Amino acid sequence: MTATENEATTEESNETLVSRRSLFRGGLGLGAGVALGGVLAACSSGDGSAGGSNGDDPIDVDNVDAEDPLRGSNETNMQGKTVEMGFAVLAGWPPSQAAVELYPEFAKYAKEKFGYTTTVKKTEAGFDKLFQQLAPGLSSGSQENNIMISDSQWLGAFAERDWIVRAEDVYAINPDLDLDPYSSLVRKTYQEYPDGSGTRWGFPQMPDTQGLFMRLDMLEDEANQTAFEEQYGKKLPTTYEEFEPMTMVEYEEIFEFFNRPEEGMHGTAMMYGKDYDSFSCAYHPYAYTTGDIWNPETGEVIGFLNTDDHATALEYFVSLQKYQPPGSEANGIGTMIDLFTEEKVFSAMQWLAVGLAMDGDGKLEGKILAVPHPKFEFPDGSIDVIGAMGGQPWVINKFNDDDHMRVAIDFLRWWYSDDAQAKFEDAGGLPWTADKVNAEGFEDSKYYARAFKEMLGEDKSRDFWHLPQYAELLAIQQEAYNKYAADPDAFDPKRVLDFIAVKQQEILLDNGVTDVAIPDELKDITLE
Amino acid sequence: MTTTPISTSDTELPAGPGATASNKTKSPKKSKSSASGHRSPWFGRSLLAPVLAFFIALNVIPTVWMIGLGFYKYTLNLGDPRYVGTDNFTDIFTDQELWGAFSRTLIFMVSAVGIEVSLGAAIGFLFWGSSKMPGRRLALTLMFAPMVMAPIASGQFWKLIYEPSFGVINDLLGKVGVDPISFLTDPDWAFRAVLFVDVWMWTPFMILMTLAALGSVPSAELEAAEIDRLNSFERIRYVIWPNGKFILMLGVLLRTIDAFKTTDLVQTMTEGGPGDSTEFVGFALFRQAFNSLNLGYSSAVALVLLIIAIAFTSIYLYVLNLSRSK
Repeated sequence: MTATENEATTEESNETLVSRRSLFRGGLGLGAGVALGGVLAACSSGDGSAGGSNGDDPIDVDNVDAEDPLRGSNETNMQGKTVEMGFAVLAGWPPSQAAVELYPEFAKYAKEKFGYTTTVKKTEAGFDKLFQQLAPGLSSGSQENNIMISDSQWLGAFAERDWIVRAEDVYAINPDLDLDPYSSLVRKTYQEYPDGSGTRWGFPQMPDTQGLFMRLDMLEDEANQTAFEEQYGKKLPTTYEEFEPMTMVEYEEIFEFFNRPEEGMHGTAMMYGKDYDSFSCAYHPYAYTTGDIWNPETGEVIGFLNTDDHATALEYFVSLQKYQPPGSEANGIGTMIDLFTEEKVFSAMQWLAVGLAMDGDGKLEGKILAVPHPKFEFPDGSIDVIGAMGGQPWVINKFNDDDHMRVAIDFLRWWYSDDAQAKFEDAGGLPWTADKVNAEGFEDSKYYARAFKEMLGEDKSRDFWHLPQYAELLAIQQEAYNKYAADPDAFDPKRVLDFIAVKQQEILLDNGVTDVAIPDELKDITLE
Repeated sequence: MTTTPISTSDTELPAGPGATASNKTKSPKKSKSSASGHRSPWFGRSLLAPVLAFFIALNVIPTVWMIGLGFYKYTLNLGDPRYVGTDNFTDIFTDQELWGAFSRTLIFMVSAVGIEVSLGAAIGFLFWGSSKMPGRRLALTLMFAPMVMAPIASGQFWKLIYEPSFGVINDLLGKVGVDPISFLTDPDWAFRAVLFVDVWMWTPFMILMTLAALGSVPSAELEAAEIDRLNSFERIRYVIWPNGKFILMLGVLLRTIDAFKTTDLVQTMTEGGPGDSTEFVGFALFRQAFNSLNLGYSSAVALVLLIIAIAFTSIYLYVLNLSRSK
């Protein structure tokens, strides 16, 4: 045997040995893993299970201490202190960032009124990542972010885990913060959990509703006016009043008229993207025409989301891609802004608050008409619309220490002041209180304000789920809807809805939200 | 581990068969410390301590923790962990979406690694035989650029290039009368579009590995092959392959593991879409863990993936050792 061969043999036998050792260690690791998992469970079991403070009694206002941090600061208890606040905000969304931008104004107010110094640091992430970024910290009781922007769907998750202060308690102690909203949509969307319980958790920050942005200059163009009249035998509308009562079917003619792919221009753009809730929010107004997407009382999805009417609505919504540029299956808020500001589309179905960015930094200033979401014919023959609600509330971290809690309450008091709200609106924000939305001149304050107000009206929009399971529910439908949008010929819309309904109801069943079983005939449904 | 000679002059890229050999064995100098006398074995071990501490803190504990979590139902926003035994692992077998992702990953992995290795080897040989080519170094540097870019940046970069309304490819296609192609949203194109970007990014790595493998071939053996008038195929089979195979196979192994884990490209380019047509197992795991916050189930999936990755490594090492012992 040569030296090399000898070495190789030794090596091999060593490897065999190592393998056995590795196996043994692997087994040990597995055992230790299970044991550690037990420790994990034991460590975290003391911290309120699902339900959290949801079942707590309301705060007894008469017995709240004068120094209770939920009262905010007084003239003496924060004097000379320095507090750095952590704000969690949405990245790239100016109204959300406005709180951080305007913070120096609040710091000045706090110094003058309460004698403390305060600064702010921010955590930011996109719509689809912010909750996920916050949850790990909150689950370990961190007060890294003292005030957080929450999407309306996240309220249940925050509340059930007992991570946030109940707004109801803050309002009980500070009635001056409990402002009168423009419509019940504000309370239902940004504040209440569970739905219909009357318990509020969120503090409205930025309301938003859906609308349609169109190129006014193209509508008013003489050549277009003449050509449209020749082609359709009617006048091409140009004003808000003319568009406001129009149905989607009527809008189709206009999308068709302006759909000129050969000129690099398309009729419209809508959101079919898989990211976050793009497809869902764009599609829901079509579905709401014939019913809700689930039954909040029984937790049933089957029989609500997957009706034949909804299948027709889904098919119709996806069919509108024929007026849109290729690639609409990936459209989200950002793509829609790009398509519109780069003049690739005549119109864009968009969140109205995004009007801030739809003029392309002034490039299209004065050339845009924003109107409410197109209407539909309801089963009773009425013409109306129920849009999807956008926007976000604030929530306050329950793990804040006394000083941070006081500053959080002080901040909200300042934020809702007329002065701060005026600055917020200047920075692109929109109001939600009755007095501000009804204020004279509001409708003309921004080119999209009138449409926003219309869609914030009673029953004009609707939010969906505030359930802690929202992330899983959303992921299922976003993927299935997007799959259908990408290849509508390959799937039956009813089967797509059946699939979503079954998968969502399985999750709700697993979590005890519903006790309605999946029908046998749907149990093994797939989308392949 | 290996008895295969690997060039120690590896700071220089090999300049081809005709270049002066610089891989002569250097006689090891005795270090002062070893010459001066015996040191306690604890000294060496204590030097390892910081690395070991980091390894345990950042690798061993999280891995053990992850294994433990795999036995619990734990969704971060839904409540406390609940022991469910092996339920998460058995759920994996009935999770059609996950198996779909596995299947796509396998196809992606085989295609990506196959193309990258073939292209990388071909280009590597070209560069190896072109020591006198003007601008060789610049060409190599430029060629390696995609590899050193952050995948997240590459993903965004290509997403814009592929964009149907603004992207440069569709703009060029439009100029020759071709209708725009929705590269990332058409189910027939999306997979191929992501695969192309992966090939673009990682073929340079295989070029590098090929050059390193070629550099490990002793020039004496190459000269002997030349004297013996071996043809190109024989030269590869009898001289280059036996010497360079370890480095090449290491490249293949690294690329296989990496392709199996592909997540960042998919996240930036398609979010796994359209539908689930580009949802690979790494991204499916990411979505379970960080979008749905389903930590228990995702830990079980991660453990299965870890075992698969270890299996790949073991198979490669076994094959290498087997061929060496023959």
